[in-house]
Amino acid sequence: MKGNPIQLAELAAAEPAATTSIRGANRRKISSRIDPFGIIGMFLLVGIWQLLTIFVPSSLLPAPHAVAWRIANDFFSARELTYFGLPDASLLGSMLYTAENVVIAVTIGSVLGAVTGLVTARFRLARSIIDPVVLTAGTVPILVAAPFFLIWFGVGRSSATTLVLIYVCVTLYLFAQKAADNLDPVYEEFARTLGATPRRIVRDVLIPGTVPQILGGVRIALAGAWGLEAIAELLGSQKGIGKVVELFAGAVDVEGIFAALLVLGVVAVLFDAITASCFAKIAAWNVVVRPGGR
Amino acid sequence: MLPEPVASPMIVLTGVSRIFRRADGQLVRAVTDITFEIPQGQFVCLVGPSGCGKSTLLQMIAGLLLPSNGSIRVADSFVTEPSPERGVVFQKDSVFPWMRVVDNVEYGLKCRGMAKGERRTIARDYLTLVGLSHVEDAWPRELSSGMLKRVAVAAVFANGASVLLLDEPFGSLDYVTKRQLHDVLLRLWAQSDGENRRTVLFVTHDVDEALTLADRILVLHSGRLVDDLGIGVPRPRTADSLLMEEMMQRKHELLAHLGLEGAPAPAARREEMT
Repeated sequence: MKGNPIQLAELAAAEPAATTSIRGANRRKISSRIDPFGIIGMFLLVGIWQLLTIFVPSSLLPAPHAVAWRIANDFFSARELTYFGLPDASLLGSMLYTAENVVIAVTIGSVLGAVTGLVTARFRLARSIIDPVVLTAGTVPILVAAPFFLIWFGVGRSSATTLVLIYVCVTLYLFAQKAADNLDPVYEEFARTLGATPRRIVRDVLIPGTVPQILGGVRIALAGAWGLEAIAELLGSQKGIGKVVELFAGAVDVEGIFAALLVLGVVAVLFDAITASCFAKIAAWNVVVRPGGR
Repeated sequence: MLPEPVASPMIVLTGVSRIFRRADGQLVRAVTDITFEIPQGQFVCLVGPSGCGKSTLLQMIAGLLLPSNGSIRVADSFVTEPSPERGVVFQKDSVFPWMRVVDNVEYGLKCRGMAKGERRTIARDYLTLVGLSHVEDAWPRELSSGMLKRVAVAAVFANGASVLLLDEPFGSLDYVTKRQLHDVLLRLWAQSDGENRRTVLFVTHDVDEALTLADRILVLHSGRLVDDLGIGVPRPRTADSLLMEEMMQRKHELLAHLGLEGAPAPAARREEMT
């Protein structure tokens, strides 16, 4: 490319400045997502934990560094777990199994619950029929139903996944129905007067108008799903992080229990962060789901 | 001064009534036996106190509500459901928050199956006409109330409706913004002449707003049509126009109908039926 040498020199000089400014903006973007108070909170938690280990014996409360060391040791292969004949005898393998179940249950449960919730919000007859069923299912503590699922589906993946799926489905049903009830009718009326067909109203008004609340419901359901899945595995399963906790509890291996729970907690937090970030992109128009406000 | 509108009837109401059932089971007559015609191209304001049935009547003409009795015809077709031929600007913000400004303006055209390039050009033209070309890619939450009303007006005009129904669209806006939007609305309305001139029915309880905008003012009270006033003052009308003798006389008549001065308004309230 030919050009005035002075202009080219200006461009050459300007380019690094522009690159620096983009890098600076990226740094600012990343730093704005990391809450310094959150980091202080984490350090405080670890500090208190460390402090408590002075007074509490390590057989009851292992030190943070010991748990970290245990996670590092057991992450890819856990010798202790092989004694129990556990397949995928590692924290990673067990966590992957649990995560798969949670993802399957949350995905299917969310779609089923959200679709049913939206349908019942717009069709009175469907609501009259489905509402009592879902609300009854919602009032029964879901863990009470765990033994039935174990009898029906055995100790495999199905029973734990079904348990979580039902919880997620009921949660999303209520969120989606409430979101559709709260959607201002003026949007549907405006669409109708502009010539929108009923199908277009569902696609262009009902779904986008309720998406922020539904996605909020998915995050809440996801947060609960990890705990439920772990408990379901603990009650009766051959694999998963819940099973690992059960085995370590049987061996009175407190350090192992802490390691498994910490891995579960970190994975749940990471999933929530990734989900929140994806949802913020899906509903970019909505202030509520955007991290850090508008 | 704008040319006189063509006088073929665009909106025809014959004996229109609407009865609602309240939560306690009582029947309330919101609109009673309304009959009038609006010629094509006329700008009509519907004035009356709160709760007199103005919005109910407008919703029936829009097809969002059906009359309990009587019939409504628009462009020789009976109104039974909403139609893109009858655009509505609502009192509440109706612009879709999940669509960018330009997508909102072209939405009606999209529903009609128009190609993307063509509808985008039309939407941009109308955004320019309402003075919002610089925010076409903005989200509605980034706009002020006045700008949102401009978007709604642009969306309805861009959709090519032959009848425009506006339900107290600028009621919540400050005086300056309201005056600016009057200018925008009249500019868009005056864009086309003769058979292409849109017919406008504008609901308001603001007497000055009605006098500034209307060719004709229909006065509603307790669900009944109580007066039909022609406004012959030439356009464009300014603040000084409102001080002209004819305007002052009309204003007094309207205020009297609203029960604020002079002759008392009809005493009848909404007729309650059991």
